[in-house]
Amino acid sequence: MTEELLRLDEVRKHFGLSGAPWRAAQTVKAVDGVSLVVRKGETVGLVGESGSGKSTLARVATRLLDPTSGRVQIGGKDVTKLRGRRLRPTRRTVQMVFQDPQASLNPRQSVGTILSTPFRAQGTRPTRAQLIELLEKVGLSAEHLERYPHEFSGGQRQRIGIARALAVSPELLICDEPVSALDVSVQAQVLNLLADLRDELGLSYVVVAHDLAVVRQVASRVAVMYLGTIVEEGPADQVYAAPAHPYTKALLSAVPMPEPGVTRDRIVLTGDVPTPISPPSGCPFRTRCYKAEDICATDRPVLEIINGQTEHRAACYFPEPPPPERK
Amino acid sequence: MADPILEVHDLRVTFDTEGGLVPAVDGIDFAVAPGKTLAIVGESGSGKSVSSAAVMGILPSNAEVKGEVLLDGRELVGLPDDELRKIRGNDIALVFQDALSALNPYYTVGWQVAEAYRLHHAVSKKAAFKRAVELLDKVGIPDAARRAKSYPHEFSGGMRQRVVIAMALVNNPRVLIADEPTTALDVTVQAQIMQLLADVQEEFGTALVLISHDLGVVAEVADDVLVMYAGRAAERGTVRDLFYRAAHPYSLGLLGAMPRIDVPPKPRLTTIPGSPPSPGSIKTGCPFQPRCAYTERVGERCITERPELTPRPGEGDHEAACHLGRRPEVVS
Repeated sequence: MTEELLRLDEVRKHFGLSGAPWRAAQTVKAVDGVSLVVRKGETVGLVGESGSGKSTLARVATRLLDPTSGRVQIGGKDVTKLRGRRLRPTRRTVQMVFQDPQASLNPRQSVGTILSTPFRAQGTRPTRAQLIELLEKVGLSAEHLERYPHEFSGGQRQRIGIARALAVSPELLICDEPVSALDVSVQAQVLNLLADLRDELGLSYVVVAHDLAVVRQVASRVAVMYLGTIVEEGPADQVYAAPAHPYTKALLSAVPMPEPGVTRDRIVLTGDVPTPISPPSGCPFRTRCYKAEDICATDRPVLEIINGQTEHRAACYFPEPPPPERK
Repeated sequence: MADPILEVHDLRVTFDTEGGLVPAVDGIDFAVAPGKTLAIVGESGSGKSVSSAAVMGILPSNAEVKGEVLLDGRELVGLPDDELRKIRGNDIALVFQDALSALNPYYTVGWQVAEAYRLHHAVSKKAAFKRAVELLDKVGIPDAARRAKSYPHEFSGGMRQRVVIAMALVNNPRVLIADEPTTALDVTVQAQIMQLLADVQEEFGTALVLISHDLGVVAEVADDVLVMYAGRAAERGTVRDLFYRAAHPYSLGLLGAMPRIDVPPKPRLTTIPGSPPSPGSIKTGCPFQPRCAYTERVGERCITERPELTPRPGEGDHEAACHLGRRPEVVS
C-alpha cells in the first residue's frame, strides 16, 4: 500500500452564526463528517456545487482552518491539534493553490518577494537561482522576477501562485478551483502544467472544482460532495461512467455536451441545495431526489461499496445499477 | 430562413480612454430570426459583452458606436434617448450575468418586475404587480404571489437569475440578449435556466442572442454561432459548422482546449499558447496570428494583411476569417 499523504477521519467544520441578540445562535454545518484518504501519486478530485463544503474541507485539510471535530493526519502524523509555529513542518508536505490569483498575490510585492516568502517562513533564504528555477518549473523565466502581479495575465498569475506553493517542495498540492477564473484556452495550459508537474516532481493533488469536466481531466479518483458530506467516491473512470448516487447521476446529466444535435436523458433536479444551517434529516439529498422513500428521511445513509467494486462507494439506499455492458 | 428580427451590420465600438482610443469591437455582423438562437462565443476582451451593450444602447458615454443595428428594420444607432427608452426593455431586453448586482436590494422582486412593466404600459401599480406575479410564476418561482414580496437577498442565486429573466420577459420582448446568463450558477441550476429560456422561445417566438464562453451550452441551445476574437469575427456559421467543420484555427483551439466528460480524458489538452490580446494591441494582420500554429505555413500575409470573413466553398453560410484557405487539422 502506498504512503498516505493525507487522512481525514470524520472531519466536521461548523461555523457559529451569532446573529442578532434576539435570535438564537445558529450553526452552519459546512463540513459534516467527511473521511478521505489521499495516497502518494494520486489526484483526488473534489466536486460539488456551491455550498457543498468542498472549499471548507480543503482549508481544514491544509489546517488553515481548525476542524470542529474529527482528525487530520498529514504524512502519517496527527496534526489536528497543532497550531501556529508547530504547523510549519506540515506546510512542507502540503501546500495550497488558491482560486483567484488576483486576490492571493500581494499587489505591492514583486514576484521575487512573493516566491521567497515561503522560504523565509521555513527559516531559510532562497538564492536567486532557486527562485529562477521555480519560475522555470511553471513556464515563466528569470525576467519575471522583478515584476509585479498586475503586469501579468490571469494565467501567468496562477502560474506564480503554483510556483509559490512549490517553493518548499511539497508532496501534496491542494488546489481550490485552480482554473475557474481563467479563459478556456488558458485553463487548458494550467491543467497541462499540473499534469507535467505531477510527472516531473511526483506531486499528488487534491483538486477542488465545480466543473466536472475539469475534474475528469485531472483526477484519478473523485469524491462528490453534497451539503457537507461525501455522497459518492471512487475511481474517476467508474464514477463518471457508472455513477451510483442519484445526485452524481443528475449532476453529470446536467453537464452540457459539446455535441450539437445529440439529445440526452437529462435529470433536471427541482429546487435548490438546502441550507447547511438546517440540513434535511436522514439523507441530505432526499429533498431533491427522484428516488427518495421513507427510509431516506429517517436514517442517514453511509458510504458503502457498490456493485462489488472495492474502491467505489456511495451513500445511498437505492444506488443506480451499473449500465449494461457495451458490446 | 425567416427574416431576421435583429440585424447588426459592421458594428464598431471605440472607447475613448486616458490611454487613447481603444477599439473594443472592430466591425462585426450578425442577425437572428424570431425563435432562433445566435450564440456569440469568445474569451475575455473579445468584445462579446460590449457588442451586446452596444445593441442595447447602454454603453458609457466615452464609447463611440458606429454601424447599423436594425430591429425589425428600424435603425437603433443614433436614436435619441427617449426613443431608445421605449424600445429598450420592451422590444429588446437584456438578461444580465450577475443577478445580484442587476437587482436593487432595497425593493421587493415583485416591485422591480412590476416597474419594468409600468415603464411601458399605462397600468395601475396593482395591475402591474399582478403581471409581475404572473411572470415570476412562469419562470418557475414557487409560491410566486408570496415570494414577490421578498427582497433579492432572500433568494438563492438560481432564483435571482429567474427574477432577472422574469424582468426581461415582462413586456414580451421580441429579442432577448442573455449575457452569460448561467456563468455564476451551478450546473444543475444552469440546466433549469437553459430549459426555461428554451420554453420561453418556443412559446413566444423570442429571438435569443446568447453571449457565452461555454461551448457545451452553445452546442445545446444555439442555431448559429459567431466566434469573436479581439473585437472581430473569427468564424461564423451554424452550430454544426463550428463543432464539426471548424474552419478557424482559434475555434479549433477552443474546442481542443475544452475538457470533456463524455470521452476518456486525453493525457494533455490541446492548448493555444499565450493569452487573448488586449483590445487594440494588434494593429495589423490577423489578431490571432501571434498565437496561431498555422502562421508559418501561410507566411507574411498573416502579419501584414487582415483576413476578412470569407465563405467556405460548398458549406452554405459558413465563413471564416483566415488566410489558410483550408480546414486546419486537429493538432494534439
